Amino acid sequence: MILSLLIFLPLIGSLLVALLPESQTAQCRWIALILTLGEVVLAGMACAGFDKTVAGYQLLEQANWITLPLGGLGIASIDYLVAVDGISLPLVVLSAVVMLIGVVSSWSMTKRLKAYYSLYLLLTGSIMGCFLALDFFLFFLFFEFMLLPMYFLIGLWGGPRREYASIKFFLYTLLGSLLILLVMIGLYLSVMDPVSTAVAAGLVPDPSAVTTEIVRNIQAYLQNGQLNPAYVVHTFDMRYLSDGGNYLPNTFLNPASEPIVLGLPARMLAFWAIFIGFAIKLPVVPLHTWLPDAHVEAPTPVSVVLAGVLLKIGGYGFIRIVWNFFPDGASEYAQILAGLGVLSIVYGGLTALAQTDLKKMIAYSSVSHMGFVLLGVASLTAEGINGAVYQMVSHGILSAMLFLIVGVVYDRTHDRRIDSYRGLMQPMPKYTTLTAIAFFGSLGLPGFSGFVGELFTLMGSFQSEWLPGWLTALATTGILLAAAYFLWTFQRMFFGPTWVRPFESQSGPISVLSDLTAREKLMLIPLGAMALILGLFPNLVFNLTNATVSQWLVKFAVE
Amino acid sequence: MPANSSQLLPVLMATLLGLPFAGFLALTATNRRLAGLLAIGITGAGLAISIFLTVHLPEHPLTIHADWATMAGMSFDISLRLDALTTLMLILVHFVALLVQIYSISYLRDESKLCRYFAYLQLFVGAMLGIVLAGNLLVMYAFWELVGLASYLLIGFYAERPASSRAAQKAFLMNRVGDIGFLIGIFLTYYYFDTLDFSTLAANGAGIIAPTALGLCLFMGCVGKSAQFPLLTWLPDAMEGPTPVSALLHAATMVAAGIFLLARIHPLLSPNALVVITVVGTITTLWGGYSAVFQTDIKKVLAFSTVSQLGLMVAAMGTDNVGGAMFHLLTHAFFKAGLFLSAGAVIHAVHTQDMRQMGGLRKALPTTFVAYTVCAAALSGLPLFSGFLSKEAILGGAFGWAGTQRNGLAYIVPTLLLLSSGLTAFYMARQWRLVFFGEYRNVDVPLTRAHEPDWLMRGPVVILSILSVWVWFSVNPLSAQGSWFFHILPMSKEQDFGWLAPVSIGLVLLGGWLGFRLREPRADYSYVRLSLNYGFLDFFYKILIIRPVLRLAMILNRTDQRVVDGMVNGTGVATVVLAHLTYGFDRLGVDGLVNGAAWLASRLGQVTRSLQNGRIQSYITVAVVGLLLVLWWLL
Repeated sequence: MILSLLIFLPLIGSLLVALLPESQTAQCRWIALILTLGEVVLAGMACAGFDKTVAGYQLLEQANWITLPLGGLGIASIDYLVAVDGISLPLVVLSAVVMLIGVVSSWSMTKRLKAYYSLYLLLTGSIMGCFLALDFFLFFLFFEFMLLPMYFLIGLWGGPRREYASIKFFLYTLLGSLLILLVMIGLYLSVMDPVSTAVAAGLVPDPSAVTTEIVRNIQAYLQNGQLNPAYVVHTFDMRYLSDGGNYLPNTFLNPASEPIVLGLPARMLAFWAIFIGFAIKLPVVPLHTWLPDAHVEAPTPVSVVLAGVLLKIGGYGFIRIVWNFFPDGASEYAQILAGLGVLSIVYGGLTALAQTDLKKMIAYSSVSHMGFVLLGVASLTAEGINGAVYQMVSHGILSAMLFLIVGVVYDRTHDRRIDSYRGLMQPMPKYTTLTAIAFFGSLGLPGFSGFVGELFTLMGSFQSEWLPGWLTALATTGILLAAAYFLWTFQRMFFGPTWVRPFESQSGPISVLSDLTAREKLMLIPLGAMALILGLFPNLVFNLTNATVSQWLVKFAVE
Repeated sequence: MPANSSQLLPVLMATLLGLPFAGFLALTATNRRLAGLLAIGITGAGLAISIFLTVHLPEHPLTIHADWATMAGMSFDISLRLDALTTLMLILVHFVALLVQIYSISYLRDESKLCRYFAYLQLFVGAMLGIVLAGNLLVMYAFWELVGLASYLLIGFYAERPASSRAAQKAFLMNRVGDIGFLIGIFLTYYYFDTLDFSTLAANGAGIIAPTALGLCLFMGCVGKSAQFPLLTWLPDAMEGPTPVSALLHAATMVAAGIFLLARIHPLLSPNALVVITVVGTITTLWGGYSAVFQTDIKKVLAFSTVSQLGLMVAAMGTDNVGGAMFHLLTHAFFKAGLFLSAGAVIHAVHTQDMRQMGGLRKALPTTFVAYTVCAAALSGLPLFSGFLSKEAILGGAFGWAGTQRNGLAYIVPTLLLLSSGLTAFYMARQWRLVFFGEYRNVDVPLTRAHEPDWLMRGPVVILSILSVWVWFSVNPLSAQGSWFFHILPMSKEQDFGWLAPVSIGLVLLGGWLGFRLREPRADYSYVRLSLNYGFLDFFYKILIIRPVLRLAMILNRTDQRVVDGMVNGTGVATVVLAHLTYGFDRLGVDGLVNGAAWLASRLGQVTRSLQNGRIQSYITVAVVGLLLVLWWLL
């Protein structure tokens, strides 16, 4: 029940806000605040109900949604299926927190409030749906649903080039979606649901009677061709998609039969297609150029959500879908994948160094930091995967903080150029302290969460039997670059005598440069505290992820 | 030992580490009158605990653990370790920090950010204590980076001065370069030994010979923190921080960390790695020494002498002489802190750091003069002072090591080290003359206004100079062989070279005499410029690293905007153009025969064109149609 509430509470709220009479428009921010607070509470309850020692899906909720006999082609079945495991739960909690912070950050919005909050809540529900759905079709539905509100949030409330940025964002992501869709259909046609098939074939009276032995029998019948095709129930259930035994013989994506499409092995094509689909989201260089534009044009709260949560769906998709359904490709191409991760780390870091726009600098630093996620996942080690999930949580917190920090100066002066500021330390000491925390946390100072994520993803990639050591060595330059671009920015903006370009001609103290307001502190201090607490007690995350990751890794064990 | 000490010691260790961090938090929330006292109280308490721990030091190293990160059956702990090496450093760090803070109360009396200053100092001390107490490499690395942060805050303390913030940034980044090596070294260690724990590693190290790369990567950390060649240029720039900070940074914290690291990981260093370490140490000694010779800033001379002495310690580590290196670290901490605090007193009196503006100060600042003389003598390695003892230990060890090497070239190393001690005497004597002898040359501040500081500043200086005399370390002023120190940390080579002491005393005297008699050459002579610019290292960094990296960053940024985005935008434009073409073809081709086809093309054209028109409905349509087409194709 908790998980469905997590998804549908904001969706219902979205509808509610949209139906609100014009005279009550002011209420919608309170509705959003209460609902997102509710999300945090629900996420906390999900944590409380989660057994950390058990791997696999928990709090499962299943309902039959669509069942369609297709005659000789078998039976089509789509379920409403939601659950959490150690990989999705930390991200659900992160999303709930970031969405709440986003609402607080949206408080200063004045334009078209109803539409804004309606879309925002729609986005919240879709994000939750993405992390919770265990049916691939359901996942895809939420994945697509996420695009719409995001497109409008950038396109309607964004900066001067918002239309370009939002279309770019949309087209990029749409391309990714199409690739995912293709593979999803391919998978659907290639995989059966052994439980429902057993029922359809009359082996057992109802699904609850199916044992692992029966599943194994069914799988054996399937592989030997002893199963009447009309009984085969096709499924989007991720639990079955990740099991090689459920793949129908002589289908596109059967690992054993290796059909050729366009002169290339179908599974290889499918792997890369779906990888690109999620790589756009992460983003992986060279599929990243939508990100800086989207960030620069998006209003602060949307940037916060985009960096804090949306990018994580890319990393989550890698672990839950790409690697899970294509373990063969993941291990075969481990070096290329890790290489792409390292490319993102180094390329993102170097490009960040060249930026003059503060928001763009932080956007590129996101590219660099998300590269660690790909590197960690590609390492196929416990340290790497745990580290990757941790890095996603950590980056969610720190990047939210960083974009809020950009918002603080932008709100005051409407100028985001780094070289428009000098010596902000004197008029804004509290802001300086929190910026220092965010910057040092992001550049991987021990004690903050950024360090832990980078440490374990790097350690994992170094331990990995699939990856050469020099790749990790190359990746470590990313943490040097991070120190360089953050400290350089910090030095240029905060040290020295106070000077601000928009107020160049003005003599005396600049009145707009007031220190943080209570609302800004309310957002930044909890985020900073979370980065610190997670950095000091990383087991808060690892205790959740560890068991699931160990089980997840079994299929990659080297014989 | 009292019976309850098994529970007491771990608690005390944790307290010791926690105190400065608690102090850091407390000091950010206190007022300026209390700040100094609070800081001194905390460090004093820490010193008391350290002494207690030293007295009650258990026979075997004591290690305590706390869970930090657990995954897949592997636990990465926070572990602390207490052994003789730790207690030695604990007392040293606390003691020097205490004196520096007492001195600071007076020195920074008029500073507006006093609370923050003391808070940062506590952070600095706490981070250093973490390194000293660390029980595994990971904990050490964490505090190692924290030392980087604290030094960043302290070097950049005068944030409104651009030079200060630049120096802070440089220090942090150069240290990070070394830290990356350190981090890779940690990964290598974990890869080869499946543990990062010092106790286990020391036990393992005897069996498996760690690869040379492992040792060298870990050594990189030391190269950064202890300002070894080629990462040494941040240290002289770090002089931009307040002078008491320099005293602390150069004596007991930060630069000492690298040497301490080498002492901890010594069992992991392969013979080849040791050779590299020796060579790097020797180069650093000479590089630093030569750079000190013609400096005009009183603190820069001292900074380069630190570089030089650190090189000596590293070379000692390389020649298997852990005891000698740590012994020099200890003696050096006292006289170098003494020198910096004396220099602070001089700067306080004449309001300049430029030695060309000083001169003849021995009468105006008699206490400082005596203290400075004692500490400088110790640094130069004159007999009867502590520095002589520790240098003899290092040189003796180095000659002993050279004797065991198969290659006769090995004798180059101890010979160069010996010569560098003559060089030390040379530049210290020059500085001594420039500051305290000759004519007073500052026109801005008359000599009559130059006076000794109050006893809060003089006291620590006097104490440190008293501690630079031989008796505290060895009864015999000419040999450290019987020193208490080598009961704690045995010296590996026990060779006694009868000729060494006379030769080195002769060299020191000769160097000192030359330095005192030196006529200052013009600053544009190439050998002077080489020294003033410390071998043009920064210049090479700029040309070979900083500029290329920035240029690469610019190029990548342009690639991003032109090539990657160019392709994205190009695809978009091409789609629009294609749409217009099909649309135009459709319009112009008014042909009854192709009416049907034209209609289709027009529909197609509109559909493709609408891909770019930003209407969301069309995207959805495209997605749905695409889905249907794919379904049709697959089924």
